[in-house]
Amino acid sequence: MVESTPLLKVEDLQVSFKTDESQVRAVRGVSFEVYPGETVGLVGESGSGKSVTNLALMGLVPKPPGRIDGGQVHYQGQDLLKLNDRQMQSIRGRRIAMIFQDPMTALNPLMTVGQQLTEMTRLHLGLGRKEAHRQAAEMLELVGISGAEKRLRDYPHQFSGGMRQRVMIAMALSCEPDLLIADEPTTALDVTIQAQILDLLRDLQQRRGTSIIMITHDLGVVAEICHRVLVMYAGRVVEKADAQTLFADPKHPYTQGLLRSLPRFDQSSDTLEAIPGQPPDLGNLPGGCSFRPRCPLAVDACQSRDPELMNLDGRHEVACLVAQEAVDV
Amino acid sequence: MSETNPSPIQSPTVAPTSVPGASPAAPLLSVEDLRVQFPFSRGSFLSPQRGVIRAVDGLSFDINKGETLALVGESGCGKSTTARAIINLVHPTSGSVRLEGVDITRLGDREMMPYRRVVQMVFQDPFASLNPRMTVGSIIGEPLAVHGLASGKDRKLEVLRLMDLVGLNPRFLNRYPHEFSGGQRQRIGIARALAVQPKLILCDEPVSALDVSIQAQIINLLMDLQQRLGLSYLFIAHDLSVVRHIATRVGVMYLGRLVELGEAESVYSHPTHPYTEALLSAVPVPDPSKAASRQRIRLEGEVPTPDREHVGCSFADRCPLVVDKCRFDRPVHRQISGSEKVHTVACWERG
Repeated sequence: MVESTPLLKVEDLQVSFKTDESQVRAVRGVSFEVYPGETVGLVGESGSGKSVTNLALMGLVPKPPGRIDGGQVHYQGQDLLKLNDRQMQSIRGRRIAMIFQDPMTALNPLMTVGQQLTEMTRLHLGLGRKEAHRQAAEMLELVGISGAEKRLRDYPHQFSGGMRQRVMIAMALSCEPDLLIADEPTTALDVTIQAQILDLLRDLQQRRGTSIIMITHDLGVVAEICHRVLVMYAGRVVEKADAQTLFADPKHPYTQGLLRSLPRFDQSSDTLEAIPGQPPDLGNLPGGCSFRPRCPLAVDACQSRDPELMNLDGRHEVACLVAQEAVDV
Repeated sequence: MSETNPSPIQSPTVAPTSVPGASPAAPLLSVEDLRVQFPFSRGSFLSPQRGVIRAVDGLSFDINKGETLALVGESGCGKSTTARAIINLVHPTSGSVRLEGVDITRLGDREMMPYRRVVQMVFQDPFASLNPRMTVGSIIGEPLAVHGLASGKDRKLEVLRLMDLVGLNPRFLNRYPHEFSGGQRQRIGIARALAVQPKLILCDEPVSALDVSIQAQIINLLMDLQQRLGLSYLFIAHDLSVVRHIATRVGVMYLGRLVELGEAESVYSHPTHPYTEALLSAVPVPDPSKAASRQRIRLEGEVPTPDREHVGCSFADRCPLVVDKCRFDRPVHRQISGSEKVHTVACWERG
């Protein structure tokens, strides 16, 4: 299904933010690969570091207060973290594009959609005015906006929420990037529109072979669209597996808890098993495993060290001492 | 931090709610042919186009004691406006809202007061709906003061009882909302709603701003409180998985109208209106093995703005089953044949 050389390889990424009281470690040693043509899901709750991870890939962490403390992001033989702003600009939008949760704040309200779409292709691909205009109209058609010629003259506020998200996707794909980073692209949308957008992403991926990093808190969306999944908690990846395996046989107690606490649409249930407590304060993490205070399986050893991801059977990695031990025996 | 641990609750110091003119035989809440319209004008200053937004367009339903009726539907379907009309935060254009048999739609603010004790509201955003300058104790105690239910030491005791009831540590009495997480703030909002001992709570997207693991805590709390206190809920949500879990009955709304209404189990297992079918089939299921095999009905386009009058069915323009009759005759709710459960649908082609 996927080729063996990764398109993007993130190694031991560390990002922190300075606050008045402390240095908050938002991302603490995240590693993963994205292969050509696949969709990788990054799942986690608020503050799990999933969005910061991707801002770091794009060179968009605000510095200060943000700081990249370590790690590498390999893309086509270079480390993206070492590039200067100028070099990064030639990659961002061109080779790696991004779509955001809220298209209204990501689009410029004072420019027509046509101006915004052609700005990209003229800058990155060096297209002429006419050629860029023709290509922009094509892109709008591609994402399912009818009357594209006319709609190019419209401003973002003249589009509905779902249509704006389509415009964002058109913009992101107009330079034919290798990788699309989608940060909660359907969270602000209604379910029927969400289904349309997910269909669109799936369809475009098949036609163009674009890799997608899908950042979401919605496990339903993950199950619908992702090939592989990384579960993040408190700035670390705690579980990594292909989607089938993760949902059928979750190993980390956090992933297990998440799936159990989810009300199910496809079956009725009596009570939900909520995960007790709150996610930890990143500026003041508990020692050892950061999930320990909420974990039903915690043992003494969990207090002494924060477990590393360990490969269980070649395609399922988990960062939990208890789960790792169960396999060792 | 503290969790919901069912501890023995001493009985409330506040007397149970009773409203003038209530008739015990009537349903707790009865909404009949409710319409809410907002006039608007757009276009240029010189040639304005005037019209009305039909946010709620002829809605009828009852809520009985101890049950949860969920209203579902997409943005702009009128579910939140319905809740606001029920407590008179927006004034209905026509129709009636009866609380225990008394029509409250024409009541002024002062006359509404006793009825506001019967119906309370929990809002979506626990960050915006709590006054940042008030302590938790004064937020929860305020309804008691406003309604003159308890003062001094009694009020403080009652606030502590309420905090315990919703799983907030009473030690946090003098803290401010910003010191709490989203889930705990929602507990504060629930305690405030419970203070006046309402019979009905309108929950407008109470868990959609919360993370998954916290969401389950709040859903469990709401269901637990319902059992212990015999509460009724009008639950407004767009998350159909949450609704399936919590609702006794479900009403599906489209452009200000109910298109389907029935017992939750029946609506989810036998969705009958073409819109309900499409809506339910669009919900992502957290199970990749099922995701591939599910039948999906994709609707074209989006929900239109409710700015024109639909003589017939409001869904006719997007409906795969549409026939001529749908455009000219408004479908009435009919019991679905063959179903033992109470389950009605407004569709000429189905039911």
